[in-house]
Amino acid sequence: MTHSLHRRGTRESLSGDFVVLGCPATGVNKKGSASKTRKFLSICYKHGPINLGDMKTGNIYNTTMDDILSRVTDGTIVECTFDNREKIVALLKELNEDRPGISVIISGIPDIVQQCMTEAGMGRIHSLEYSLGTWGNTERLPDFEILQTVTMCGHGMIASDLVRKMVRDVKRGRRTIEDCCIEMAECCSCGNYNVTRGKQLFKELLPLYTLHSLY
Amino acid sequence: MKADKDKCIACKRCFPYCPMGRIQTYARHDQIPGRIYIEIDQDACTDCGMCLRAKICPVTALFQPEEPWPREVRGVLSNPMIEFMGSQTPGRGTEEMKTNDVKGTFLPGEVGVGVELGRPGVGAYFRDVETVAMALMKADLGYQLAAENPVTHFMSDKTTGKLRDDVLGEKAISAIIEGKCKLERLPEVIKILKDVAKTLDTVFTVEVITKVPPVGEVPIVPVFKEMGLWYSINSKNNMGLGEPHFTFTDEEQ
Repeated sequence: MTHSLHRRGTRESLSGDFVVLGCPATGVNKKGSASKTRKFLSICYKHGPINLGDMKTGNIYNTTMDDILSRVTDGTIVECTFDNREKIVALLKELNEDRPGISVIISGIPDIVQQCMTEAGMGRIHSLEYSLGTWGNTERLPDFEILQTVTMCGHGMIASDLVRKMVRDVKRGRRTIEDCCIEMAECCSCGNYNVTRGKQLFKELLPLYTLHSLY
Repeated sequence: MKADKDKCIACKRCFPYCPMGRIQTYARHDQIPGRIYIEIDQDACTDCGMCLRAKICPVTALFQPEEPWPREVRGVLSNPMIEFMGSQTPGRGTEEMKTNDVKGTFLPGEVGVGVELGRPGVGAYFRDVETVAMALMKADLGYQLAAENPVTHFMSDKTTGKLRDDVLGEKAISAIIEGKCKLERLPEVIKILKDVAKTLDTVFTVEVITKVPPVGEVPIVPVFKEMGLWYSINSKNNMGLGEPHFTFTDEEQ
């Protein structure tokens, strides 16, 4: 499962984009992990994520934190999305000092993540995964500007047609950017959609399309 | 996913929510004069459930019937709310590098290679998945498939990468082939993937996992540079906070 890996964007855009995952390990610490996962979630919540969720329950935009916490079971993988590095440093400091015990993974630009780890008093990144991009019939992909938005949901639940329709709706004055981004966050049930980054990307999309070129 | 023709009013509100694009057509109701409804192309639909979860239908015409085998694999791999029981992990893949700090799945000198067909937003048939899996296994590069991965479960022959014939016509938003090989075989694995990419009408993303040594360069980066490969500026990074910690040979001294 690599749903936080293939986020597309420029360094500037991705430098404020961090997905923090808490993952128990089958056969090692999964049994009895529910309390550890709840502790991990509670610590993350304290540090002000822009999104937080569990793919089988939903995220804070379509349910409540209490619901997410109450539905955590042994083996639940949870995700918290942050929009700035200072929060990550503070979060890592606390997770390093008061370890929940499950594995913690952060998707982001590796040199920034490493800086955050160092500032939090931690060592080197343990293991790492890179994307080599998209291969095959790439003519079937939407424009890069739309890809930046839709790849924030690794399960592919934000349709490129929905982004186009929302841009059209905003241009027509039917909806606000904020309203559209919240709905996209609702579509991405895991909580990986970064609403702060989403709003910025949406603003950048608006001048690129005319009403007639859209959905 | 289907639309109840007795309820649907063809308002089109569900259209933009479909990750597979415009897969709906109009039909005329044979018993209600003047009523137009939509039909969802059942071959193109992956049963991901997004249109239903969006709660956008004003007449609650959308419904997801319980699908028999083999069609049920569409929902299993495409709907993030459904867990594949074989992997015991929510989602389409495995724990892969996420738990490497406690499981030691990828040791120094080993690399994980994942190929996710259909991503992003195009979708893939299992016949495409089989094409890639068989190309990887035929090359005999020591690529070991992840046993708990859903795609591995759907293989009738794990030594050749052959999938069960009854799932080949099924489609998912994405399906991941996961496995690992020795670092020195990575260039050959990548070459196989480059070659097979030219034969497909869909897309796939490629990901590579490595244990990061306590000092020195990340082992896979020189391989990428030597091959002239683009690799992402962002990555997925295991913090090493899981307990109990797996002891790796490069950490012993």
